[in-house]
Amino acid sequence: MPRISISETLDLSGVSCPQNYARALLKLAGMGPGAVLQIIIDDGEPVKNVPPALKEEGHTIISLKKMGERWILLARRA
Amino acid sequence: MEVYLDNAATTKTDPQVIKVMFSLQESIIGNASSLHKLGLKAANEVEKSRQIIAQKINALPEEIFFTSGGTESNNLALKGVAFAAKGKGRHIIVSKIEHPSIIETARWLEKQAFEITYLGVDKEGFVNPDDVEKAIKKETILVSVMHANNEIGTVEPIGEIGAICRKRGVYFHADACQSFTKLKLDVKKQNLDLVTLNAHKIHGPRGIGALYVKKGIKIEPILHGGNQESGFRSGTYNTEAIAGFGKAVEIANTSDIKRMTELRDYFIRKIKNSIEDVFLNGPQERRLCNNINLGFKSVSGKKLLSELNKRDIFISTGSACSSNKLTPSHVLLAMGIEPEAAKEAIRISLSKWTRQEELDFVIRNLTGIVQRQRKIKCPG
Repeated sequence: MPRISISETLDLSGVSCPQNYARALLKLAGMGPGAVLQIIIDDGEPVKNVPPALKEEGHTIISLKKMGERWILLARRA
Repeated sequence: MEVYLDNAATTKTDPQVIKVMFSLQESIIGNASSLHKLGLKAANEVEKSRQIIAQKINALPEEIFFTSGGTESNNLALKGVAFAAKGKGRHIIVSKIEHPSIIETARWLEKQAFEITYLGVDKEGFVNPDDVEKAIKKETILVSVMHANNEIGTVEPIGEIGAICRKRGVYFHADACQSFTKLKLDVKKQNLDLVTLNAHKIHGPRGIGALYVKKGIKIEPILHGGNQESGFRSGTYNTEAIAGFGKAVEIANTSDIKRMTELRDYFIRKIKNSIEDVFLNGPQERRLCNNINLGFKSVSGKKLLSELNKRDIFISTGSACSSNKLTPSHVLLAMGIEPEAAKEAIRISLSKWTRQEELDFVIRNLTGIVQRQRKIKCPG
């Protein structure tokens, strides 16, 4: 599997929905096409809501992994 | 001519801000906490504004928490830290010239078994950073010193105080309601842990403010409910006002600061040349660009306010919050000004729209009123 170069990281731990995906979408909008954003999100509602919200805007979800009590989401900007 | 020179109390909302707010009032239906598309649309506006404000003070967006204004932010900063950090200690330091929303909160905390040190200031209203250092003890959890004073415009050395607090492991809060966008504010360089900001002093809407809280600092919320703002501040987002706040910050311009500084100095120079026995309260240098605080010997500030009011000139005697009190300003008293002299003070605060001809109009009226009042007091 090719190595993924992460352009920026956004820590959204403690941020509830929909503020978390609104912030993620704003961040992605400010990045170049194809750039990868690493997003830290909470378990529960955030992990259920953030990935589909990004997909709906055309971004690609590369991976979603649980790290302790948080989730690490990699998203590629459309 | 109607002349509004009470901009330290509140400012006229900028038409560009009104335009943003009106358009959102028509187009935004959703609650910014709702999970549907309309909620996301509102949340987007909130987050855009958060980003603008964060950028202005070199903070991260997630370090900005929206509140109803300066008073709530100051309450949240003091009470929030006090109750979250009381395990470490119960001692808080504030300056004697803070806004009532700090002083009264500190007094309330005293009743909740917290110990408060009220730091004195010099004759120009400056807090000495050495005094802060000396006042810090093992139990100290927070120091709160305002960036610029609302009555006399003194710009406090918050960078130096911030460095001391960081070195001693004590949180530092600065109330920047009067200085925001007028003075450089960099939370990293100035070692700020909490900062109070508001919109209506910078031509934004009333009823919206923010508290910057450095990432990692725990504060106890004072409003409980739907856990908005990461649980720090519950309550439905005032999306239009938040967007208006962001717009006000975005359009704030450094050239306005230069112009206000020139007009401030012009007014002080000209009034001193026109009337005898006029005293400038507060410093000449390191003073907020839009603040003028003057005392006219043997003429009460209240009388001047009322006479100017009759001529459609609007100023204040101190802070808007305390101008109804009969007691002299706590700020002027802390500077060592005698109570009688403190009652002679008036505050004139400019805005980006203040014009020189308006100031000339005020000087002409003020000169006449002061001369008449002194004649009434000492005929012949």
